[in-house]
Amino acid sequence: MAADELITAVIVDDHAAIAAGVGAWCARAVPPIRLIDAGDRLAEVWTGPGADADVVIMDLELTPGMPGFGELRRLVDSGRRVIVYSQHMEDAIAIKCVDLGAMAYLTKREGPDHLVPAIRAAGRGLPYTTPSLSGAFIADTAADRPRLSQREIEVLRAWFVSSSKELVAAKLNLAAKTVDTYITRVRVKYANVGRTARTKSELVSRALDDGLITLAELNEQPDG
Amino acid sequence: MRTDLVESALRHGLRIATLLAASAIVFGLGLSNLLRNVDRYEPALVQFGALALLGAVLAGEAVLLARGRAWGRLRLPVVALVVAAEVLSYTALPAKSTSTGVDWVFGAANWVGVAVLLDRPLRECAGFLMTHEVTAVLHLFLFDHPTRGALARFATGSVTVVGFPLCVVVVASLLHRLSVSASAAHLELERVRTADAAAAEAHQLRLRRYGELSATAIPLLEGLADRSLDPEDAEVQRECAIEAARMRRLMAETNSVADALLHELRHCAEVADRKGVAVELDTRGRWPEPPPAVRRDLTEAALTVLATASSRARVTVVGTGDLLSVSVVADCVEVPATVPSAPGVHVEALHHDEQVWMEARWQPTS
Repeated sequence: MAADELITAVIVDDHAAIAAGVGAWCARAVPPIRLIDAGDRLAEVWTGPGADADVVIMDLELTPGMPGFGELRRLVDSGRRVIVYSQHMEDAIAIKCVDLGAMAYLTKREGPDHLVPAIRAAGRGLPYTTPSLSGAFIADTAADRPRLSQREIEVLRAWFVSSSKELVAAKLNLAAKTVDTYITRVRVKYANVGRTARTKSELVSRALDDGLITLAELNEQPDG
Repeated sequence: MRTDLVESALRHGLRIATLLAASAIVFGLGLSNLLRNVDRYEPALVQFGALALLGAVLAGEAVLLARGRAWGRLRLPVVALVVAAEVLSYTALPAKSTSTGVDWVFGAANWVGVAVLLDRPLRECAGFLMTHEVTAVLHLFLFDHPTRGALARFATGSVTVVGFPLCVVVVASLLHRLSVSASAAHLELERVRTADAAAAEAHQLRLRRYGELSATAIPLLEGLADRSLDPEDAEVQRECAIEAARMRRLMAETNSVADALLHELRHCAEVADRKGVAVELDTRGRWPEPPPAVRRDLTEAALTVLATASSRARVTVVGTGDLLSVSVVADCVEVPATVPSAPGVHVEALHHDEQVWMEARWQPTS
């Protein structure tokens, strides 16, 4: 899909104000993004106009206290590109969503500066890593976490701290594109551990094709 | 020596003295009277039984005293036993002999009861002595048909039988009251001393804080007062905002909160928040509690940027491995990096595209 082609996204969120707000951001984006509001009805993501949308934006807690991991897994397994838009700040939940194959994980504190790029990236089948997810990666102490290089950790930390890729590039003396490369490499490493999902394997094979990461780097075992 | 220790030694001595007096009276005076009149009792064996009961109580008191213990729950039954011994003695006492030499128990059982009740409140001892007296009075009126002479003798006898033990009991009770007020006075003294020490400590803290503020805040205030500094000047306003944040941080400095660094950062953020700056505070990872000097260096960088931020600021704390980093990214004019004073702290400032990013890092191991 070309970058300037019209992207269609479907949002499923039980708060009407969220859907309306996201709709306004999408309309103002250049080029605009077409947004379908499914309300709180997940069925409309599977059938009707929602079924053909390029990107699914889902609220993780449609039922309060019950994160919809199962629904996320079913959408990812059927090849949908999902962005989780959640009020949860917990790192473990963010990493679990990524592990299940979500393209992006955004907290509702993160506004259009991150949601619009995330929708565009997902529309092209690419992951988007928000500062909050970056923070979750640097604080991740799980035994099976992928082994990250010192430079990757520095970039993640700077992205989490500054929320601006220009600032990261200026601080670390890197080109903005290189900053993206480091962040994507981390996502590829995370995609390669844990369970396999269609979007994840696509991401890994694509990163290998592009020479973003080598097979040897992917097969490095974590320290633990 | 503590006053309550003195008091407990005195009470211990009084208990020994009372036990010795009671034993001397029972086995000296009481027994000799009993033996001298042994053929007048009906029968004498009952009197020996009563004496044995009193002797047993005194032996019990001696054992408890040696072990440094009190009668506890046994006290009431033991007092009842003393009264029973007395009643037993009166049942075998010949008529017209109350409060005479024959009535050995009248002058003996009272001391045994007092020895048992010495550490109890005054009214309990008085109650026992009253029971003792009433028992004798009952015997006097029921069996003796007393003459005026006998009544006079009984009254005189009662003065010693009730009066003397009562004096001992009053002394014991006075000692107890003294000890209560002495220990209250002691506690009060401790409290006053603690309050004094706390006040002195607080005074030292305030002096130290004043000293720290005087280096930067006082010249600023003096400049404003003598009009050499213009409150309209943006630079002066910036200095004032920084000083306000420093004061706020000084007041927030304490070691008694769970995470002192975050506690102080929140206070610094509040100063910016009041100016209408949207401040985000986000943290990741874990870190050891930095010592106060390091905390000050870490927060100084943050407050300098926060005080000058114009509309938004993002404060982050990241602790990973051996590195603790405090960063502020804000839209503000270029500010120079603050100079840290604690070892192991490094501060970097980056100005890029109307944004300032000041980061203070602390590596505890270096």
